[in-house]
Amino acid sequence: MATLFAATTILFIVVHNIPGDVIYVWVYDIVETYGVSWEEAERIARVMFLGYEPDKPLWQQYIDYIRNLLRGNLGYSPTFRLPVNAIVASALPWTLFILSLSLSTSFIIGVLLGMFIAWKRKTIIDPIVSAYAAFTDATPDFVTAMLLFIFLAVRLGLFPLKGAYDAEIVTPGFNLPFIANVLWHAALPVLSYVIEHIGAWTLLMKGSAVSVLEEDYVRAAIARGLRESRVVTAYIGRTAIIPLVALIAISIGSMMGGSILIETVFTYPGMGYFFAQAIGRMDYALMQGLFFLIIAGVILANLVVDLIYPIIDPRAREE
Amino acid sequence: MSEENPILRVRDLVVEYAVREGVIRANDHVSLDVAKGLVNALVGESGSGKTTLVDAVMGTLPPNGYIRKGEIYFKDKNILKLNPEERRKIRWEKIAMVFQAAQNSLNPVMRVAEHFIDTVLAHKSMSKDEILRKAEELLKLVRLDPEQVLNAFPHELSGGMKQRVIIALSLMLDPELLILDEPTSALDVMTQHYLIRTLKEVHEKKGITMLLVTHDLPVVAEIADRVAIMYCAKIVEVGDVRKIFYEPLHPYTHGLIHSIPSIIGDLSKMRPIPGEPPSLLNPPPGCRFHPRCPYATEKCKKMEPPLVEVEKGRLVACFRYA
Repeated sequence: MATLFAATTILFIVVHNIPGDVIYVWVYDIVETYGVSWEEAERIARVMFLGYEPDKPLWQQYIDYIRNLLRGNLGYSPTFRLPVNAIVASALPWTLFILSLSLSTSFIIGVLLGMFIAWKRKTIIDPIVSAYAAFTDATPDFVTAMLLFIFLAVRLGLFPLKGAYDAEIVTPGFNLPFIANVLWHAALPVLSYVIEHIGAWTLLMKGSAVSVLEEDYVRAAIARGLRESRVVTAYIGRTAIIPLVALIAISIGSMMGGSILIETVFTYPGMGYFFAQAIGRMDYALMQGLFFLIIAGVILANLVVDLIYPIIDPRAREE
Repeated sequence: MSEENPILRVRDLVVEYAVREGVIRANDHVSLDVAKGLVNALVGESGSGKTTLVDAVMGTLPPNGYIRKGEIYFKDKNILKLNPEERRKIRWEKIAMVFQAAQNSLNPVMRVAEHFIDTVLAHKSMSKDEILRKAEELLKLVRLDPEQVLNAFPHELSGGMKQRVIIALSLMLDPELLILDEPTSALDVMTQHYLIRTLKEVHEKKGITMLLVTHDLPVVAEIADRVAIMYCAKIVEVGDVRKIFYEPLHPYTHGLIHSIPSIIGDLSKMRPIPGEPPSLLNPPPGCRFHPRCPYATEKCKKMEPPLVEVEKGRLVACFRYA
């Protein structure tokens, strides 16, 4: 809780120190769109932002913000002319969907592959994976996303160009065409994350498994005549995975950060996409609201990891 | 003694480790018979190659270790020639082993009971109830409270308890040969004594052949029937325990026996062997013991003494007896 409070305060200060005034973004827009004079546009803009009072002292704004936050109200987004809560409610499920799908895919494949490499030792996959991980770690995730977008979506037309589903073709609900359509739209964003993260997970698992490999209980398990598959999964994998679980929480944070650009590339209506819009539009309320959610998400993920850690590692249980 | 009917025969075994400095030959043409139904002890200093020998038998050599040549027969079957699946079946079903660091031989994230179940199911089909019933029996044999131990995680048990769990586990499939690699080295004296008594009981009740690997001579004197002495990757002397202790032939064995401190004896009478054991990376030519041997001759410096039978069941590798 204290972490959350500190984070929101720092967040407020940082966001409000971003140079530029939101009003002029709008004024410029109105001038461009309606061809009215600058003064007229400024008047319209001020009317449009009924709840926006840039002349109020900052500390007053801060208190308002915290008060609203405590009531569960994240504010009002002038850009979309919607409460931030409503935007979050529509965007959060998509981001959670994409993130959980990418995280579980890259985690599971990475863990299995890492375990395999550690067990087989000197295979040619080992240097290949290391090189791959170094390469993808050095590539920003939006570059991967853009390459996928350009080649698979634009050039080859295999995947949709934008959105989370085609509203004209399918009706939301628990029906097969809708689910298929959603997965089809999610494929490239998910693939971008997986391509970016799978190498790192594999290397982490390999490193962890190699150190477990030296343990006496692994040798003892082999001596007990256990089957290879059983030794690798229950004795090596099972213990080697423990430190990786703690990293999941950290990974969620970095993936959320990555979502800003990835979702923008694919025009995917998740939190990251709205975040990018909020930054472009100097939409303080939306920015703060989304930041707050990301922070809360990371803290929550850490909490969950703390809770499940004793379940996967009996040594961490309290007597 | 039953030299004619050994359960395990190691012949001319050469095991090497690839290390950065070169190649370490940890077993240099080792031949050893393990007599059926007896407690056989393999004695030597740290680094003399005892553990390497039993690891080669179990097929659990570290990744940088390999068998260069030699044969290992388990009841007339060369186990080095078996395919991996046949080899896997022999482990624990025929030859079980209590590892040097037995305290770390249990998976930290698995309950003790799961170890028993895992082990049995890898070899035969048996119901969980049957397995647990047998486990309880064996745990009682090693004087542990089955209910408390079976549901515990390894970190909840003491070192001595874990050691006894491993011994119970090793008896689960009624193996014909039980290898114990330094079973007492990590335990305090009281627990050691207790463990030796347990092992004696197990041996008497089950009639199981044991190969005890140790550097602890008092333990050997207490429970072993036959003893093989290893020095610097080679077997230097083999014989019955009384003969080894009362009439050691090889100068190294002699030195070893006389280096045991006694509580009542005069410490000044203790005679440690002069010098240091040689490095396996660069062993001395000829007899490996010659730089430390009071009887060394020119011949010892140039030629390796073969291991020869000087009397029935008594082998020694020294030119004084060849």
